[in-house]
Amino acid sequence: MARAFAYYPGCVAEFSSKELNATTKALAPMLDIELLPMPAATCCGAGDIAEAKPNLYLTLNVRILSQAEEMGVDVLTICNVCTLNLRRANKMVKEDPRLLETVNEELVKAGARPYEGTKEVTHLLWYLATEEGLSLLEQKGPRGLNGLRVAPYYGCQLLRPSSVMGFEDPDQPQSLERLIVALGGEVADYEAKSKCCGFPIILAREAVALKESHLALSQSRDAGADCMVTPCPLCHLAMDAYQRKAEAANATEYNMPVLHLPQLIGLALGLDTKVMDFRRHMVPADRVLEIVGV
Amino acid sequence: MPTTTFDIFRYQPDVSDEAYRQDFTLEHDPELTLLDAILDLQNEQDGTLAIRYSCRSAICGSCACKANGKTVLACMSQVEDVKKEFGTERISVDPLGIFRPLKDLIVDLDPFWEKFKSVKPFLIPDGPPPADGRERIVSKEAMQKVYNESKCILCAACYSECNSYMADPEFVGPAAFAWGYRFAGDERDGQRKERAKLYSGDHGIWDCTRCMYCNERCPKGVNPRDAIEKLGGVAFAEGVTRDKGARHAKAFLISMRTGGKLNESLLVPYTDPIKAHLDLPFALQMLRKGKAPSPIPHRIKKLKEVQSLMKNVKETI
Repeated sequence: MARAFAYYPGCVAEFSSKELNATTKALAPMLDIELLPMPAATCCGAGDIAEAKPNLYLTLNVRILSQAEEMGVDVLTICNVCTLNLRRANKMVKEDPRLLETVNEELVKAGARPYEGTKEVTHLLWYLATEEGLSLLEQKGPRGLNGLRVAPYYGCQLLRPSSVMGFEDPDQPQSLERLIVALGGEVADYEAKSKCCGFPIILAREAVALKESHLALSQSRDAGADCMVTPCPLCHLAMDAYQRKAEAANATEYNMPVLHLPQLIGLALGLDTKVMDFRRHMVPADRVLEIVGV
Repeated sequence: MPTTTFDIFRYQPDVSDEAYRQDFTLEHDPELTLLDAILDLQNEQDGTLAIRYSCRSAICGSCACKANGKTVLACMSQVEDVKKEFGTERISVDPLGIFRPLKDLIVDLDPFWEKFKSVKPFLIPDGPPPADGRERIVSKEAMQKVYNESKCILCAACYSECNSYMADPEFVGPAAFAWGYRFAGDERDGQRKERAKLYSGDHGIWDCTRCMYCNERCPKGVNPRDAIEKLGGVAFAEGVTRDKGARHAKAFLISMRTGGKLNESLLVPYTDPIKAHLDLPFALQMLRKGKAPSPIPHRIKKLKEVQSLMKNVKETI
């Protein structure tokens, strides 16, 4: 039976990285996941609203959680930043009933439903990187990645702070590796897989951000990866859309295709490449498709 | 008694300019701390092995270093716990990241102290002291706001893996800003606006890339990233919002009010209007890949609820 979730793709997957949203939606039925839309959900604030107006950040995110509660399901995300912002708000109000009461008073005044604190937020990667999820992938009979050498790239906010995220050891993450292997790929390991992509400051401090993304891009290249895979569309923008800029800033070449996590799964499960729309990537994924044989 | 091999970074500039690694093996009590292990090695095997330490009780903040690549306070980590955490019988020990090694595990912390001093880490009260000549009284509730930041012991563990500091050594950095909020958030301080200005600008709070390593590594639960975030709130409360980072956050607020979702077409021109014009080739590339944002903002259902929250939720930073 399909597991239903309140689907929270986040703004980037809905707009500039539409290929991620489309791939996730197409993949979900293949993985027995039902994605229920959240038409009244706002942006999570991406850490920016928390920085400008912390109480507003908390209230807006609890409003989203309350919508999932009304739907009777947990929230499923496909973005590191959304995951952290929603989980952090959830933890804050679950651990502090007085705070929840204050937030609920605001919600009710605004005509929104109060939150009872009963829902959880999980990322697609976490849902699939369990014993259950991995055996599901195997059951679906993946056509396999044909030995594609994949560099796992976690980024920051799905791992840290571990007090909020807590799915795995942030210093020795293994979820992406397990998924890559289960899908018939090879892991190209490298140290910077959980360092920052620089995206949160890429518009305000581009030079600093491009030095940050250099670490993971250069190390994954040196590890002989055919591509990187990331569970976060913001990391994807930093690593893919800004890759040519990073090459210019760091006087080097990476030529590193970067896949969204659902695209990697989609390739292994034989999802139509038109749906996954690799043409929207700045760095062509041709060599990936060639190795996988699609 | 367990036995552990320590693979230790060695650098003895009196003898050689070359750093090297050296293995030491120690039979030890199962509850031995990493600091005591290093001191045992120093006492029993190599008197030249150098580490900075003092209290051995996680108070002085002197013995921060890396165990298996992870920044820790040596006195707060038990050898057997480290082995268990990493599933190894060996422990690699290295000096703090980022800072220049002076000798073995001792690093040059001068840059750290410079950053610390640069935030004016002391109370700057508003006006003369009370007329009765007594101290300025502050309530317990008011101090609670800066409780986390008050716990900082200046061990520099939060700098060791700071991703923004790695990319930009001029970044003021986590502990310094934790102290910044320690005073900007203190109701007795009279310099909130001046502090907001001092902490904005190049290498300031808006340079933090939110990698969260500082929160993860802080041995005292200070959560420096949270302090940086709160300083953003102080900057907004004081109207100090000209920095590109603050403008970036403003674009999110405008998007929220007008549609409920991020309006990407606002982000670039609002954050950096000059660059938005100069960076035309990049914008065209994005356009070709269908990544140029739609100028028509998305509008969520029940936007009125959000607009009402934006109007009514009061900030208490």
